[in-house]
Amino acid sequence: MAEKDKSSQYPVLDAVNAGMIVLDVDRRVVRWNAWMSSASGRGREEVYGACLADVFPDSSLGRLDTAITAAITRGLSGLLTHALHGQLLPLRTRAGRELLHDITVSSIRDGSDGKCLIHIVDVTMAVRRERYLRDRQKARYDAVVENAPDAILTLDADGIIRLANNATQTQFGYDHGELIGQPAASLFETKELWEAAWRCILEQAQVPHPVELTAMRKDGSHGYVELSASRWKNDNHVHVTAILRDAGERRTAEMELRASEERFRASAKALAELNATLEQRVIERTNQLLEAEDALRQSQKMEAIGQLTGGIAHDFNNLLQGIVGALNMVQKRMTEGRISEVERFLHGAVSSAQRASTLTHRLLAFSRRQPIDPRPIDVNALVGSIEELVRRSLGEGVKMVISGADDLWLTRCDANQLENAILNLAINARDAMPDGGTLTISTVNASFDAAQALMRDLQAGDYVVLRIHDTGVGMPPDVQARAFDPFFTTKPLGKGTGLGLSMIYGFARQAEGAVRIKSEVGNGTTIELSLPRFDGNTSVVFSEPPSAAEDGTGNNEVVLVAEDEEVVRLLVVEVLNDLGYRVLEAADGRAALRILQSAQKIDLFVTDIGLPEINGRQVVDAAREIRSSLKVLFMTGYAEVAADGQFLEKDMELIAKPFTMDKLAAKIREMLSVGA
Amino acid sequence: MNASTPIHLSELELDALTELVNLGISQAAGDLAMMVRQEVVLSVPRVALVGRDEAIHVLGGAERKDLVAVHQVFEGDIIGRALLIFPEAKSLELVRAVVGGDLSFEDIIELEQEALSETGNVILNGCLGTIANELERSLKISLPEVLHGQSADLFELDPPPESGDTVMLIYIHFAVRERDIDGHIAMLLDMPSLAVLKDLLTAYIRRVAGDVQT
Repeated sequence: MAEKDKSSQYPVLDAVNAGMIVLDVDRRVVRWNAWMSSASGRGREEVYGACLADVFPDSSLGRLDTAITAAITRGLSGLLTHALHGQLLPLRTRAGRELLHDITVSSIRDGSDGKCLIHIVDVTMAVRRERYLRDRQKARYDAVVENAPDAILTLDADGIIRLANNATQTQFGYDHGELIGQPAASLFETKELWEAAWRCILEQAQVPHPVELTAMRKDGSHGYVELSASRWKNDNHVHVTAILRDAGERRTAEMELRASEERFRASAKALAELNATLEQRVIERTNQLLEAEDALRQSQKMEAIGQLTGGIAHDFNNLLQGIVGALNMVQKRMTEGRISEVERFLHGAVSSAQRASTLTHRLLAFSRRQPIDPRPIDVNALVGSIEELVRRSLGEGVKMVISGADDLWLTRCDANQLENAILNLAINARDAMPDGGTLTISTVNASFDAAQALMRDLQAGDYVVLRIHDTGVGMPPDVQARAFDPFFTTKPLGKGTGLGLSMIYGFARQAEGAVRIKSEVGNGTTIELSLPRFDGNTSVVFSEPPSAAEDGTGNNEVVLVAEDEEVVRLLVVEVLNDLGYRVLEAADGRAALRILQSAQKIDLFVTDIGLPEINGRQVVDAAREIRSSLKVLFMTGYAEVAADGQFLEKDMELIAKPFTMDKLAAKIREMLSVGA
Repeated sequence: MNASTPIHLSELELDALTELVNLGISQAAGDLAMMVRQEVVLSVPRVALVGRDEAIHVLGGAERKDLVAVHQVFEGDIIGRALLIFPEAKSLELVRAVVGGDLSFEDIIELEQEALSETGNVILNGCLGTIANELERSLKISLPEVLHGQSADLFELDPPPESGDTVMLIYIHFAVRERDIDGHIAMLLDMPSLAVLKDLLTAYIRRVAGDVQT
């Protein structure tokens, strides 16, 4: 701008880089510095003596006038800022740009040259810088905030929304600017949560962790937002920047998670129920399995019987032959009138029928369905009890030897299964000896050390070992190896299930014992069944398998008759048979003793005292060593013996010859009923 | 200064002072209205002379809230400080009320310091100038300065001028552009100034009411 007056009278004022105007008491310009000339374009000579209203006719100077008046008349200092007044005076920079300025008006005390100083400060640079900084700041802020996917709000200390980014508008459905001036609380459905968060922000400068709030959109619909916020201060003004993250998705995910957890819990419950059901089903299946095993065992037994039947049928036919033949002879002799000869044939017939009956009793007893019932077992006694059955099943070609160890330990197992095992093994042995041979059943006590036990897959300890040895064809190693496999059989189709040995194996393991095979082709086979020694209470020992003899008929007692006189023997046997007892016969003392020393069940020993070689008394004494309570009925023709009170001990009776059949019958019945 | 002999204004003197303040405030309101080109209602419910501690308590409250003040010094027969005080939280509200229009938040913040200065200047000048004029005394009043702080800070400014223990506390109420803002004008006077004021008030009462009361 042109300076029209370069010769200033006030070089100090001209040197000031600000506008200086001095007015006199009449508010006329008395000073006007160079800066003013430049900024206003009005020279000093133009303005001197003029009022400001004349100098700036186009400006609204009411506020400035007031300030001037106050300064001149009352000594007050006045401030007029660009902030409130925009362009106070039409001033320009040297470059011709708008010059932003603040004006202060002060009184000049006792001023001879004037009463009021108007001081004009160029704030253009400061304002521009501020705006530039602000714009740059805003650009940065916008770059972050306006592009953020989260709603970002600036709130004042009263919680009123002062700034809201784009995301706020989209998130809450308000138009741009609509939210400005609104309380932030209006955005939330959960007002009390917001209030609590707000208090927390004001007091602690921030919310310690994001708070989930239910948002309310302009249209009244709900959403979920996660609030994080912090308080900040600018020029002592408290502001809060709040970030509202849309938690809808996360919440949906959470709900899904919750739902899936719910489903998981439900399925866990279902699983638990299923488990319970499963357990129930396992129990049912186990029961079914046990039933099936039971049925299998039974069928094995029936198979054994089937196997036995082949041998027994022959025997049976012989017996029938004896009965039928004898009856034929009786018929013939009676027709011929040879009555005296009838008795012998009748006896033979009765004897044969009796034996057949015994055999069928055995078979019935054996085939009877029985539960597994482990109990202490005297294996020798058990073998004795089925000796007859085994012997019958072996047929004529096979000799049977039983060798029971003295003082054999007890073992504990199911008697029925052990019987079954022995029968099966005997049948196998028989089948291995088509041309005849010897079957040996032996028992022995054995104490296996660790090595021996290991060989048998057992724990070291005491065992009762039962061996069934045949002199048959033997087994090649490959057959031996598979002998215990279920359904493995060397027999022709239909001759065996192949389950026999595997059942025996199962039985042995169940009894905590073991079974093994020793065989060589051409040198026979030995099956060795090891059963653990039983150390329990021997008072409950059942030396006799209950199924072996008792058939519930009450007349199944076994009576051994020793009589060298065949007629008498026949007579006594006949009476006993008549009474329904099972009768074993011995023609001499030695034969009787053999039977008595076997495991054969004997309920009553009826013996002649006067037997050859070993007399009856000696037999009884020997027998009582192992059968202490053996009941004995002595028959004697020697009356003096009967008179000797020292002769008879407990459970001993004597009947003197001659005796009637009725008397004998009564005596025997009496003896067997005592303690029965 | 003699703190042990506090100067009390009589009821009449206080009434006179209240009347003077009302006159001053009316003037300020007029000046403000001219500035913002809007009607401005400034009312003075009460004037009280209190001790400094009480003033601190009254303005700060239990929460020791942040305050903003426009400060001017006056010199003449009476020497002291005049403060127009608002709660900090209300200062932007005041600026908004004065500036009007649809200025953005940032704009308001940017204008705050200057706008507060000028507004405070107008109010304090109107008030003090009028009172001085009515008391027939001249005062030289400085340019405004914006202060932020708690009430204790505002009443413990370093001298000069020496500020005494007496504070003339003027409650004022603004109503501008549908905004209502409560604030205070506080004048801190030293003891001699208060004595002068008392004398001036007596003279004023005599002038206005004749010799009736004396």
